[in-house]
Amino acid sequence: MTTPGLLGLPVAWLGVFFVAPIVIVALYSFNVYTLFPGPHGFTLDAWRTVAHSGIYRHLFWKSIEMSLIVSISIVVLAYPLAYYLALSGTRRKYVLLLLLIAPFLTSYLLRVLAWKVILGDQGVINSFLVWTHLRSPEHPISQLLYSRFAVMLVLAYIWLPFVALPIFVALENLDQRLLEAAGDLYASRWRAFFAVTLPLSLPGVIAAFFFVFIPTIGEFVTPSLVGGTGGYMYGNQIVDKFGAGFPDWETGSVLALFLIIVVAILTAIFSRFLQPQRVAAE
Amino acid sequence: MESEETIDRRFDRQTLFRYAAAAGGAGVLAGRTGIADAMRAISTAETGRLQVMDWAGYGNDGGQSMFASYVKTHAANKPQFSYMTNESDALAKLHAGAKPDLFRPYVGWVKYFATSGLVQPWDPSLISNFKHLNPFMVKAGQYGGKQYGIPDDWGFDAILYRTDKVTPKSNSWGLIFDDRYKGKISWFDDLNMITIAGLYLGFKNPWNQTDAQLKQSQDLLIKKKKNVRLIWSSETNLWEAFGSGDIWIAYAWPNDWVQMKKKGLKVAYMRPKEKPVAWVGMFMLLKTSSRPKLAHAYVDAWSSTKSAKWLEDNYGYGHANTLARPASSDLLKALQLTNPRAVTEPNAHLDRDIPRRATYANLWEQVKAS
Repeated sequence: MTTPGLLGLPVAWLGVFFVAPIVIVALYSFNVYTLFPGPHGFTLDAWRTVAHSGIYRHLFWKSIEMSLIVSISIVVLAYPLAYYLALSGTRRKYVLLLLLIAPFLTSYLLRVLAWKVILGDQGVINSFLVWTHLRSPEHPISQLLYSRFAVMLVLAYIWLPFVALPIFVALENLDQRLLEAAGDLYASRWRAFFAVTLPLSLPGVIAAFFFVFIPTIGEFVTPSLVGGTGGYMYGNQIVDKFGAGFPDWETGSVLALFLIIVVAILTAIFSRFLQPQRVAAE
Repeated sequence: MESEETIDRRFDRQTLFRYAAAAGGAGVLAGRTGIADAMRAISTAETGRLQVMDWAGYGNDGGQSMFASYVKTHAANKPQFSYMTNESDALAKLHAGAKPDLFRPYVGWVKYFATSGLVQPWDPSLISNFKHLNPFMVKAGQYGGKQYGIPDDWGFDAILYRTDKVTPKSNSWGLIFDDRYKGKISWFDDLNMITIAGLYLGFKNPWNQTDAQLKQSQDLLIKKKKNVRLIWSSETNLWEAFGSGDIWIAYAWPNDWVQMKKKGLKVAYMRPKEKPVAWVGMFMLLKTSSRPKLAHAYVDAWSSTKSAKWLEDNYGYGHANTLARPASSDLLKALQLTNPRAVTEPNAHLDRDIPRRATYANLWEQVKAS
C-alpha cells in the first residue's frame, strides 16, 4: 500500500473527529453558528468579553498553576520510581510495573471517590489524627477535602502511572554502555546521573510532564467531585457555559478554543524535547 | 398519517360507542373501562415508542413505577428515554435537533418555553387525573390561558442545618451566609442563588432584579463564598457531605431533611422568614411531537394517586396529586401536604420566570469562578 493510502484513514479520522469539531467550535465563538435561531453573523463580541474579563483570566491562571504544581510534583515523585524499576536490575520490575498501573483496573470515578473516604472530616486521616490526639474531633483539618489541595492531590494520584511509564521507557532504552564509560572515566554515580542518565531520559520526562499538564488544565470531573468552591477550575467554567444556567455557547467556545490554542503553542515549543535523537546528539 | 383533528373526531365517536355500550347494560365500571379502551384506541393510532426527555432517575433507571400503568396499556409504545441534566441542557438539545415528544422543565421555565415556539399546550380533558392536581401548581403551568405545563414532582428550597452544631441568629436565609460557620456551609449549584441573595437582601422582586440589585446580590455571594465548602449539584453529593459531618448548613430540599434524620443526625429544616421557594416539575409537550395522545396518556399515568404516593415514598419529593399521602409523617410535615396553599403566598414563593435568565446565569458562573 502506498504512503498516501496508509495515511488516508488516520488523516480522515483526524479531519472528521478533531479538526472539524474545532472548526465548528470556532464558528460558534464568532457567532457564525448559533444555538438559537435568529439573525446572527460574524462578530468578535464573545472574544472581547473574555479578553476583558478578569474573572476568566484569574481562573485560567489558577488552573495553569494547579496543573503545573501537579505535573512537576508527580514527575519528581515518579522519576525515582521509574529509575528503580528500569535500572536497579531487579528481576521483578515488570511485576512492580504491573502493580503501579493496577489502579487503572478500577474506574476513574471510583478512584476519585475513594479519596473522599480518606480526606473527609471524619475520614481516615482526620480519624487517625484524632486517635493520636494530634487534633481534637471539633477541629479536623477541613482543608483536606473540598479544596484546591484535594483536587491537586487526587489529580497527582490519578496521573502518576502516566508519568512513570514514559520515564520508565526512556530509562530502559538507555544505552548502558554510556554509563559504563562514565564509570571507566571515574565519574561518580551522581555525576554520571547528571551528565548521562538525566539528559538522555529528558525526552521521557518532558513527554510525561505534558501527558499530565495538558489534560489537567482542562480538568473538570475531579474538581467537581472533590474541589468544593476552592477547587473550581477553567474546565468547570467551560462545562457551565455549555450546560448550566442558560446556554452560552459563544463564550464557552471562546474559552475552549483559547485553551486549545495555549496547549497547541506549548506542545509546539516543547515538541523538540520529544525527539530523543536530537537530545542525544546534543 | 392522520391529522390530529381526524384522531380527535374518531375519539369522540369511539367514546360515544363506549358510553352507548355502557348504557346498554355494561354498568358504570364497564363504562370506565370503555373510556380507557377508547383512550388506548386513540393513542395506539400513533406509532412508535414515546420519546421522553427527563431527569436521571425518572426513566427506566428507577422511575418505572411512575409510568407502569402507561406501559401496561401501551406495550407497543413504551417510553424511550433521553436525559437532561437541567433545563439549559434540554434547551440546547432541543435546538440542536433532539425530538422528544415531551420533557420536564421546572416551573420557572414555563413562560420561557411557552413563548419559545418549542412547545404546545396540553388538553387537560385527556388527562383523567388532572382534576386531582394542586390548583395553584396547575395555574403556575398556564400561560396565556393555556395549560403548557402539567405539574408533577415538587419541593421547597429552604435550609437544612445541624441543631447540635448550629445556633441560627434568626430563621433567615442569612444562615447560609453566616461567617460563624465558615467551611461548614453548602450552597446549591443553580442561578437561583442570585434569587435567594435578592430575597435575603429584601428586594421586592428577586426574580427580576435591576442591574444595581444584581450587583448587590452578586457581591454578597462573592463575599460570602469564602464560608462555603461545597456547592452541591446532586442530592447524593449533598447527603454524602452532610451525612459525614463535612457540612452543617445547606440549601436543601425537604427530602434531604428526611434522609439526614433517618441517618440519626440532629437536624432541622428551617422555613426562613423571607420564605422558602417552591419548585414544581412541569411536563411539557413538544410542538413537533407526533405522539401527542400517547404523551397525554403517559402524563396521566404519572399523575395518578398511586404513582404520586410511590414518588413521595421512594424519592421523597412532593407530588402535585393532592390525594397522595406519603408513609413518612416527617415528609408530610416538611412538605405540608395537607395544605395545597403551602406552595404559594403567603407561605412560600412559588418559583417563577426570570426574564433575564442569561444574565443571572452569567453572574452565578462568575461567582463560582471568583
